[in-house]
Amino acid sequence: MKHIITLFVGTALCVVTGCTNINSTHGPSVTELRPGERGFVAGLGIESQDLVTISEKMARGILGADPIAKAEGKPVIVLEPINNDTRFPIDKDIFLTRIRVALTGNAAGKISFVAREHMDKLEKERDLKISGQVTGGKKITGNKFKGADFILTGTFKAISSRGASGASDYVLYTFQLIDPDTSDIVWEGFHEIKKQGKDDVTYR
Amino acid sequence: MKIATSISLLCAVLFTACQAPAIRHAPEFNGDLVAAGHRKIAQAPAHEKKRWQLITAVHALKLGRHDEARALLATAMPSAGQILQADARTRLAQSLFSPENVKGFHGESHERVMGWFYRGMFYWMDGEPDNARACFRTAQLMDALAAQPEHRADWVLLDYLDGYITTKLGRDGSDAGTRAQANAGTTALPDYNSKANVMMFLQFGFGPMKKTGGDVGEKIVYDGGHSQTHSARITAGGRTIIAPVFDDLTFQASTRGNRAMDAILAKKATLKKGGDLVGDIGVTAGAILASAPKTEGAGVALLGAGLAGKIIGGSAEPYADTRTWTNLPQHLSFAALQLSAGTHTVTIEFLDANGIALPDRQKNVSVTVQTDRDTVVFVAD
Repeated sequence: MKHIITLFVGTALCVVTGCTNINSTHGPSVTELRPGERGFVAGLGIESQDLVTISEKMARGILGADPIAKAEGKPVIVLEPINNDTRFPIDKDIFLTRIRVALTGNAAGKISFVAREHMDKLEKERDLKISGQVTGGKKITGNKFKGADFILTGTFKAISSRGASGASDYVLYTFQLIDPDTSDIVWEGFHEIKKQGKDDVTYR
Repeated sequence: MKIATSISLLCAVLFTACQAPAIRHAPEFNGDLVAAGHRKIAQAPAHEKKRWQLITAVHALKLGRHDEARALLATAMPSAGQILQADARTRLAQSLFSPENVKGFHGESHERVMGWFYRGMFYWMDGEPDNARACFRTAQLMDALAAQPEHRADWVLLDYLDGYITTKLGRDGSDAGTRAQANAGTTALPDYNSKANVMMFLQFGFGPMKKTGGDVGEKIVYDGGHSQTHSARITAGGRTIIAPVFDDLTFQASTRGNRAMDAILAKKATLKKGGDLVGDIGVTAGAILASAPKTEGAGVALLGAGLAGKIIGGSAEPYADTRTWTNLPQHLSFAALQLSAGTHTVTIEFLDANGIALPDRQKNVSVTVQTDRDTVVFVAD
């Protein structure tokens, strides 16, 4: 009888101590990172550190390109949406916006950008001015919307694979500065990133 | 006598440990599946929420509540490149004493594919066909882990739409189109029309359901889905086209093959079966030996070993995760139309395996063709 009681008590202790609570009572913790840092939820996709690295690199490349560096006056650049040919859905404006911000910050007034994405609103405002419904119409003599000296756009392409040993994604980011009068590509820059990873075994 | 007392005590402990099943009241339901889904999401534990979000998203999609469906899918699904990492729950799912379903739900490959498929459809609806194509490519990659090479990344519609979008964007989409046709077998896929401006996503029937298989529930097996509809006849703008079935979800689910997790579950199952066997032998033989004064010591030892085996066998939980995205369809279909700007009535007849229209299933959908983007329409039978 003594042996059996000891056996039960021992087993019960093992069972009780073996139980753990996996529902943490602690709230979520938040860590602030610099956008260029790789976070702890890093994945294979296009992430903030890629955006920062690439946009800074492209901005430097554009500023150093002859058509911009040796331009007379302030060349006007229009941004055209990126062609996404990868497996990652992206906000297509965010790269060009980041490049524009980097260029504006570093170019010291050597480049100007036009806000074509707001064309509808701009036309509406101009028409209101011309019709006299709002002030400022007298200053408008003819069409003052600027044409582009260059178009900045890009294409993202990828090679993706997935297998038992993990997943791999190579993404090639290319950006072009195009002369719309001649269709010449006056500058081109690229950046390439390859990432590999593996889902936890319970999800494979 | 001592032994009889011990066994009685053991039985008493076991019986008192048994618990009557909790009474689960039927949930309140006012006819709004989306509202009911949101209630389930709110009530579900953290590792179950994503499944309810996905289920509710499809309810919302079928009811035309696209914004809700889009938001629910975005919340429920990881980003395209996210690595599903280990956490306390995935470690517990691997442990001997927990079933697999304690891990956070991300679904099996056919469910992950469907998540990305729906997201792609929404991107196209929003006028972002290249992002839609990105989703279809990610979806196809979700199927790349099938055990047999011929079943890897073999979803017909995903490649077909990849090629369609590429063609519409002015590039050569024939590679993806050729892959789609190769996987479609004898089903002749419609040619791409780069001027098509109305994209009709169709789905038919009820998709496969998971259940446990194997000796002790360590495997996932699929109850096949069902669909009376085998194609759709679409009439619009004076033209009629037949939309064939592109993909069969039961086929896709059941051709996944063994998962890496199945090896862990198999080990758990072996231990459970071994523990049970040792328990059965030890308890029976131990009880017999312990009843005789001369062999009482050995009998108690054997009884103890048997009990330990029973405890291990009884505590081991090798059960596979059978949580299912329950409202997926059995078949996927697609048709592209070229219609003039303005509002059109599109008639969809759902056809059985013999090409005969199923009674009371016809749908008339009012489609307003947009001029600045493709018009994407979703229809379920």
